[in-house]
Amino acid sequence: MSLKYDQETVQLPDTWKAKAPLLISAALICLVVGAGLCFVAGKSANVPGVSATKYVMHSYLANFMFLFSFSLGALFFILIQFLTRAGWSSSIRRVAEIVMAVLPWSAVLFIPVLLMLFANDTSLYEWNQSAESIENSVIRAKVGYLERGFFTFRTVLYIGLLSGIALWYFGKSRTQDETGDVELSVDRQKWAGPMVMVFSLTASFAAFDWVMSIDADWYSTIFGVYIFAASMMAFFALMVVMCMSLQNAGKLKDLVTIEHYHDMGKFMFGFVMFWSYIAFSQLLLYWYGNIPEETYWYKVRLMGGWEYFSYGLIFVHFIIPFLGLMSRHVRRHRTGLFFWACWLIVVHWMDMTYLVMPNVPGGLPVLPLVGHFVGGVGMLLMLWAFFIIRSSGVPLVAMRDPRLPEALTYTNPLL
Amino acid sequence: MSDHKPKTTNGNRPPRAFGWMAEFSDEHKLLEAARKVRDSGYTDTDAFTPFPVHGIDEALGIKPTKLPFIVLCCGLTGLSLALLMQWWMNGVDYMYIISGKPFGITPASIPVAFEMTILFSAFSTFLGMIALNGLPRFSNPVFTSARFDRATDDKFFLYVSAKDKYYNRESVRELLAGSSPDHLEEVIEDSSPAALPKAVWLGALLLVLTGLIPAMIVLNMRAGYSTKPRFHVFFDMDFQPKKKAQQTTTIFADGRTMRPQVAGTVARGQLDEADSFYLGYDPAKLAAMEAVGNAAKLVSVQDGASPADGGAAPAAGATPPAAAPNTNLPWLAKLPIEANEANMKLGQTKFQIYCAACHGYGGYGDGLVHKRADALAQGFWIPPSSMHIDRIRSQPVGQIFHTITKGQGKMPGYAASLTPKERWAIALYVKALQKSQNASIDDIPVDKRSELEPAAPVAAAPAAPSK
Repeated sequence: MSLKYDQETVQLPDTWKAKAPLLISAALICLVVGAGLCFVAGKSANVPGVSATKYVMHSYLANFMFLFSFSLGALFFILIQFLTRAGWSSSIRRVAEIVMAVLPWSAVLFIPVLLMLFANDTSLYEWNQSAESIENSVIRAKVGYLERGFFTFRTVLYIGLLSGIALWYFGKSRTQDETGDVELSVDRQKWAGPMVMVFSLTASFAAFDWVMSIDADWYSTIFGVYIFAASMMAFFALMVVMCMSLQNAGKLKDLVTIEHYHDMGKFMFGFVMFWSYIAFSQLLLYWYGNIPEETYWYKVRLMGGWEYFSYGLIFVHFIIPFLGLMSRHVRRHRTGLFFWACWLIVVHWMDMTYLVMPNVPGGLPVLPLVGHFVGGVGMLLMLWAFFIIRSSGVPLVAMRDPRLPEALTYTNPLL
Repeated sequence: MSDHKPKTTNGNRPPRAFGWMAEFSDEHKLLEAARKVRDSGYTDTDAFTPFPVHGIDEALGIKPTKLPFIVLCCGLTGLSLALLMQWWMNGVDYMYIISGKPFGITPASIPVAFEMTILFSAFSTFLGMIALNGLPRFSNPVFTSARFDRATDDKFFLYVSAKDKYYNRESVRELLAGSSPDHLEEVIEDSSPAALPKAVWLGALLLVLTGLIPAMIVLNMRAGYSTKPRFHVFFDMDFQPKKKAQQTTTIFADGRTMRPQVAGTVARGQLDEADSFYLGYDPAKLAAMEAVGNAAKLVSVQDGASPADGGAAPAAGATPPAAAPNTNLPWLAKLPIEANEANMKLGQTKFQIYCAACHGYGGYGDGLVHKRADALAQGFWIPPSSMHIDRIRSQPVGQIFHTITKGQGKMPGYAASLTPKERWAIALYVKALQKSQNASIDDIPVDKRSELEPAAPVAAAPAAPSK
């Protein structure tokens, strides 16, 4: 079954297309200015034993994870849609696929971190030195695994696997635009199960290596799931913002309905809950065990000003959006949902900050955080630019998806 | 419901009509008819379908349910109750230290709060749904129609009740007929008798009587007597072919069930009984002390008192037991392990794990257990000894070892938890601790004294373990 739609409504808005170069430059300026602010503020903070580079590198890593998590979430969303053979999402799937397909581009932004590793920089990863020169015996024992050569190999492997899955699914989807072959959907369904397993292991180990190893003494087996939960929530928030922005620009008319927003809102609500559940699971075990090498991760996040940030996160990342998104009337209200989506993107940035930045000793660095925020804005602009460039010549809806009719007539049952 | 009797008149009056029911063969027709009925202003309507039909709520004009609000309120009630309960239990009523955690609401309260929220929400959802639907309801007038059975199979029914305030028999019939149903009929009163069949009563009575039997048997046994021997369910468990310690046997000439040790053999652990390293005193010297009987010696060793007392307690206040000299017991005065840094560290570690809970890190008898017991003020708590009183300070190292091994007063023995070497290391550490609290400037080597001068007085307790 093919649907006749105005080709115009599934193309990227012209106003957007023109913006791409501007966005890229703005993003780069933001990243550079943010890093500069971080550096200057870090230098003037003058914490003993903390170099200004340490602020910049931590800020960059947090912002990289902020950017990367959207594509990570998108990839899992796409896999799940095929795993469950979902029909409702067919009309919004392409937007998610584009977010997913920029994953290799986002990953390129990890190169600076690798370069710093090979420049013998230890401000981000303390393990990046010969084992003999590390005082902490626990980190010394882990150097053999974390060592920069193997670390780079693993990073390439993770990004290769994730990009491979993303591009394969994106490619199949694009081919279906041309041929309308149902087999392409069947293929993607068949591979969704194994790919989810590959994804979960890859994403989990990437989280261990990239983020958890900045504090190589500490470990949490649930850390990968934490990053995953945060990524999913951020992705659904981004989807709502993207779909609404495209509709406000006159696109996707009738293709994305309030029913789809309602569902994305449910997902946002669910993953707000899931994030809290995972974050709390980690906290409870460490609190109960009360073992110094485990609890100090929380200790640094509960002192020197970070305690306001950390306790604040409980409210802005859980209680407030949880109550805000609870009602279906909010989830079916465009402005209401848009507000909460923006809110969640901001708190997701805060969450990534909370994971990385307290590793810089010296308490809450207020001024460097301003630079860090500018960098975060730069990453969002970068993502938007990536989205525009990636979607040029790509229809915003998988027009010949066999399940598209189901998505267009889909309604949520009236409660 | 399958064998419907022909409708009979109920007494003299004709059967009551409850409304009209239209039957459709697919859900689209049903939805169309439902919208028509809704638009005509009827509200007391209902639809019956074999599967959930999307949009039927809107087509029938059913208002969104209040259930979510009920669930929210009940969920919050559950949350509050859970927090209140835990605050009361562990924060007020029964303040019990668990793993050294604070009292009242802690992160550990959250899983319980979560579960209670879910429990209350789930119950209120389920019961609220049942209540809001007017259930349980054992009968419905629509059941009288034989055709209605197919509502669970392949037919779709729309029902307009006569209770509707705009109900008019003729106009409703016309309205429904207008949407071309497969069949249209008036729902009339069920004429079958309302009373339960006698067989049901009989069955229920039998069930109740059967249920009483076990209770009767128990009551009979409680109240009566029996001359028969006790009934053994597991005979071979109650009477096993084996001998117990104090029973006699015919196998051995002396009739003893428990066999004495064979001459010339050594049992496991028996060697330790002859080695001062495991005892804290010299067993040979103790045996040589002929002035006192064996039992008195044993008691005196166990009590740590002087054997010269001969078991007779000294008059209260005459000579305080603290000052009683116990040098005439052959305690080891010399440490059988080396007094080096490693053993001192071992002793410190083990002391802080096993001893400090009661005796305190400084050995003043002010550990957490003591503080807690003191705060409870229950009256029967004997405070742990301070290690810095003269009685303890004068004890030889062997006696300290013995106390750790066998216990003293309320203090249990730690032989099962600590190896002899660890116990000696603790004795060494205790000695060092005592020294640290009573040190004079003469104890410090002359060349080191200058380092101390500018510093503040040495802290009472040894430094907390570094991370």
